Amino acid sequence: MDDIKWLQGKGKLGIKAFFQDILNKGLIDSVLMPAKNKKGNSYAWFLMNKDGFLETSDPIPPVMTIQGANILKNMTKKGESWSKTAVVLRPCELRAVIELTKLEQINLENIILISFDCPGAYPLTHYISGDQTSFDQKFDSSLYTASFETERNACIACNQFTGQGADIQLCLLGASDDGFMISASSAKGKELLQNVDGAKADNIETQIKKRDELMGKLQKEKDEKRQTILDRFKDTIYGPENLLNVFSACINCHNCRRACPICFCSACYFESKALNSEADNQLNRASRKQGLRMPPDLLLFHVGRMNHMSISCVSCGACEDACPENIPISLMFSLVGRDTQAVFDYKPGHSLEEPIPFVVYKNEEFKESEAHYTKRHQSACNCNTK
Amino acid sequence: MSDENEFIPNIVYGLCAWCGTGGSETAAAHHLKYPENIKPFRVMCTGALDPVYILRALFEGADGFIVSGCHPGDCHYDTGNYRARRRITALKTILGTLGLDSERVWLRWVGHGEGQRLVDTAFEFNDHIKKLGPNPLKSRRDS
Repeated sequence: MDDIKWLQGKGKLGIKAFFQDILNKGLIDSVLMPAKNKKGNSYAWFLMNKDGFLETSDPIPPVMTIQGANILKNMTKKGESWSKTAVVLRPCELRAVIELTKLEQINLENIILISFDCPGAYPLTHYISGDQTSFDQKFDSSLYTASFETERNACIACNQFTGQGADIQLCLLGASDDGFMISASSAKGKELLQNVDGAKADNIETQIKKRDELMGKLQKEKDEKRQTILDRFKDTIYGPENLLNVFSACINCHNCRRACPICFCSACYFESKALNSEADNQLNRASRKQGLRMPPDLLLFHVGRMNHMSISCVSCGACEDACPENIPISLMFSLVGRDTQAVFDYKPGHSLEEPIPFVVYKNEEFKESEAHYTKRHQSACNCNTK
Repeated sequence: MSDENEFIPNIVYGLCAWCGTGGSETAAAHHLKYPENIKPFRVMCTGALDPVYILRALFEGADGFIVSGCHPGDCHYDTGNYRARRRITALKTILGTLGLDSERVWLRWVGHGEGQRLVDTAFEFNDHIKKLGPNPLKSRRDS
């Protein structure tokens, strides 16, 4: 059973007060969350202790600049954190953190994962080139609805919008400016929550009921929306002609790979010398195909990457934010991921206990991907008669 | 061959070093023939064959790719063939989703002593690819 407390406070200010409070009490030593830059048009992550808690910090920023899992990977890949650190993550960032923990890229020792009911985010380029004040206002007004109007593909097609799996969840859905609920599901989270002074709310039961009701409805809506979006998208990319048309704008920058939290390999095949072919090789390929798009190996990069990581794709959309050509790459990976994940009955980022499909094997499985040998083949008999 | 314009597919046959190639040795010992347009390709283990190499073959000129390794339970490295099966399952799923002909990739176990089975598989896959026709991706200059 989850521990639940009710905190007084208005929106983001209330959440920031909560972090200031647990920092002051020494329940955590530092907190990792984004803060607005001085220019006011973007966000950067900061690791802050109680004296350095930034006024401009924003636990729920309207854009996802750097995927939080990349930040945490950067911090703990070479060893555990020695002081208690709370990290505020969007649900998709949280899922990536769980995936990377299973891939042994993140060490969760002394890390407290905090997540929330996420309304979504603006596409990075829209936010930076638009009017940030009005963007912020619009975003903050949808803080309690867990959905808002955005053109970010990954967020439009998102159906995992709660911080399920985090140590501590900020339950914003259905809350109001009076305050919000905060729940802890893991031992780490419960230990922290014990020492937090929650305001006594007489109506906490009704609050929980209200959130559950809203959530059930929203979940159904978003599930259906995701399926329709992905099905419709599949029609536009199906087959070599359509697929290559979608990728035709690609400028081979590999930003999608660099921004992707799951693509953690330091020696990526697609960045390696293996694809540095010589003039001789490229001329040969060009003469075989009567021409060659340069630089070559465009489809190999994208489909190859799908093959390497689509099973763990958490549909965060970091790839699409990073794409200078606005290729709907996040939908592409979500679509392929939907099928590969279904085949292995695997939900990426769902739980730390669920093993990654490439570490568990059974003797009898996936018989349908084998071509079964039934009888001697006729052509073989004709050819090999003596 | 009977018809000069007959489509002769370009096929790569990925064989593991222990069972697949062993199968081809047994076939050779029995003087069994398999189609000459099939190019055997030896890897230490089917589990070591990254599907990216299969993709590369399909995008750059192959009409089909077939993989043969040890039967389940017989892998020289214990679990290499299970890994291969999972990887190829994922690959075939991706190709199916994107509409890129997942039927051009086959996986069939061939043991060391199964020369006949290797030859049958080669012929069967050759006929199968002939029926499917040339791979549309291999002539795409914008891949």
